[in-house]
Amino acid sequence: MPLESAAQLLPAVVDLPFREGYVSSIISVSLYVSVIAVTLSTLFSLPVAVLMGFSEFPGKQLVKSIINTGMGFPSVVVGLLVLFAVSNQGPLGALDLIFTKQAMIMSQFVLATPPITAISLAAITGVSDNVRDAAHVLGGTRLDVALVVIKEARYGIATAILAGFGRAISEVGSVLIVGGNITSADGISKTRTLTTAIQLEARQGQYGTAMVLGGVLLTLVLTINAVVVRLGDEGAMNR
Amino acid sequence: MSLAGCTQLGGSEAAQNQAEVAGETLTLTTTTSTYDTGLLDAIHPEFEEMYGVTVDAVAQGTGAALESARNGDSDVVMVHARGLEDEFMRNGYGINRRDLMFNDFVIVGPESDPAGIQGMGSATEALTAIAESEATFVSRGDNSGTHTKELNLWEAAGTDPGGDWYQETGTGMGEALNVANQQGAYTLSDRGTFISQRSEIDLVILVQGPIEDGPEILANPYGIMAVNPGVHDNANYDLAMAYIGWITSPGAQDAIADYTMNEEQLFFPEAVSENPDFQQYVPEGWSSDSSSD
Amino acid sequence: MIRLANVSHAYADDSVVEDLSLSVAPGEVVGIIGPSGVGKTTVLRLLALFLRPNEGTVEFDGKAVWSVDESDRLALRRRIGMVFQEASLFDATVARNVEYGLRVRQPWSERLRDLLGSGLGSNGTPEAVEEALDVVGMSHKVDQEAHSLSGGEAQRVSFARALAYDPAYLLLDEPTSDLDPRNTGLIEEAIREARDRDIGVVVATHDMHQAERIADRVGVLLGGGFTEVGSTETIFERPTDERTRKFISGELVY
Repeated sequence: MPLESAAQLLPAVVDLPFREGYVSSIISVSLYVSVIAVTLSTLFSLPVAVLMGFSEFPGKQLVKSIINTGMGFPSVVVGLLVLFAVSNQGPLGALDLIFTKQAMIMSQFVLATPPITAISLAAITGVSDNVRDAAHVLGGTRLDVALVVIKEARYGIATAILAGFGRAISEVGSVLIVGGNITSADGISKTRTLTTAIQLEARQGQYGTAMVLGGVLLTLVLTINAVVVRLGDEGAMNR
Repeated sequence: MSLAGCTQLGGSEAAQNQAEVAGETLTLTTTTSTYDTGLLDAIHPEFEEMYGVTVDAVAQGTGAALESARNGDSDVVMVHARGLEDEFMRNGYGINRRDLMFNDFVIVGPESDPAGIQGMGSATEALTAIAESEATFVSRGDNSGTHTKELNLWEAAGTDPGGDWYQETGTGMGEALNVANQQGAYTLSDRGTFISQRSEIDLVILVQGPIEDGPEILANPYGIMAVNPGVHDNANYDLAMAYIGWITSPGAQDAIADYTMNEEQLFFPEAVSENPDFQQYVPEGWSSDSSSD
Repeated sequence: MIRLANVSHAYADDSVVEDLSLSVAPGEVVGIIGPSGVGKTTVLRLLALFLRPNEGTVEFDGKAVWSVDESDRLALRRRIGMVFQEASLFDATVARNVEYGLRVRQPWSERLRDLLGSGLGSNGTPEAVEEALDVVGMSHKVDQEAHSLSGGEAQRVSFARALAYDPAYLLLDEPTSDLDPRNTGLIEEAIREARDRDIGVVVATHDMHQAERIADRVGVLLGGGFTEVGSTETIFERPTDERTRKFISGELVY
């Protein structure tokens, strides 16, 4: 069924004024940047969420406030901050990251981490103390208990990761500033994503094309969400 | 096309330099209207093949393009705002400025032409007429090259635009044209963007630019500058100069002239001239009579 | 033998147990009876080496538990199993639940192999898991999802989970309070089975009659300490302490 829908979309795609490989290259860049950013963010956020869920430390309230503020932080401001950091004049200037996919990954990492952390934290604290105690008393080390909790909270954590991914792949403000929306002369994207391509079409007044690209982005996000939810359902077939 | 032997720049030293820049990337920052014409994507492949390099063209807008160059985030900058370019050069951020090409601006509006500016030979008179009749005028409002030109025109006309009829969108040229189209308003546009959108909007050219014998004041000259390696030692100066040398060469200038959109020529080359043209090396308006600094 | 010697513990300023002593040897069932909330859970947590007493010593086979370093203590802890009033099973199959204890005791190299497909589960359910499920009569549901079990079934799996890694001691905190008579009987059977395997079992319960049924020795916990610890027969038929007698006869109302 999904293949048929894609085939139905093809005439619209073929009619677009783009050279061959343009659309697939911007989809590639979008996915490359967002998937890596979300993966790195998850590897960072999960231990933080576990730590925050189970221990008290000075400044915990402050960290919570920072995370909650980060959820709504404007992407364009994050872009500016990363720009200041990676610009030739900035502290990371020597790494030559300006206008690269790596800089885009950095800014999307900053954007995805608050939602992934906050929603994972909610899922983790939702795991009952009794289950935690059981894991501990059955001979688990702190690491074992943390792994048990993460597994118990896996559906909530999956939701968190999807939320982070949604935030990353849909944002335009930061990747535009630090990436530069660059393609090669024959239209193969270097730092152009679906969102920055939409922005480019819109600023040229090509709203129809922009909408089609928007449709592609929406389809992509819906497909990924559907796949993850489906996997979750398969694991919960007896529910 | 192979690398080393494909163009004779003259001498083994040139071939050596050519080989040295091979594999590198040139970062060029420019304005959105320049980029959106598609000119750069059309002519860059020749340069890229010639030297075996990649050109990353970043469309940022006039202000941001110059700021990137100031920060050393780009190697070469191409804008069309002579006053800002001169300031950039004077402050030492850029060197080896060359005139590149020009096109022009046009004043467009609804066919009904409520302010009656059709065919006027003076842009400032046209704007004055618009202000007096309080016909809706859409401004870019974003400190772009186009916006800067617009403000200069108002200043030259002796009018300070303001009021309900004067709307600043803060958007790119294409969107601004759409907004003007929807409201049946006047606006100042670069010819290139207008040509590319002509089929989708109902606005018409009411005051021509110098390409079609309109007033000189509507000329839109482009300049190209290399980032000063003395300020940023990681600026790819060799490659920037190779690029400037190439794009001001007769071959590339012809390619620029040959570039069309909807079958109309968009850019007119200016780098190659029959007579010595030292005005491109000095600030606009400099003459031997003015005191030197 | 696990020995609590003169331990005291308080949460914040609330003293729960004071100057309390108790020992558990392999192959016996010790019952701890007393009203709800009196501190039975605290005593079990002290025995499980889970909780450090404010005062007093805890010994495991003669070793002072809280004087050794963390990894040695972990090794001692791992020879004890515990079952709570609520089953608290993990969101997984019965088999995965029961083998948890076995898994965490594996070295990491084996655990990674297990993750990649071979290892623990590769030849079907491990023997220890099947065995433990047999004791509680739950073998037929080995691959069922834990959340679909009834309360009694879940508690039986919880028992198997603690039994699977062959602990030296088994501590049960009100294991049958929420269960119907049939499941209660099955658990009590399993407790006897464990005792017969030479496991030292401690059962905390507010049901005196259960203690009478299954325990070899009983400790009566009232007001922060044991009023008396003795053989079941003594406690129930010839208590030496007046408070014990009153509690057994139901005169003491808490």
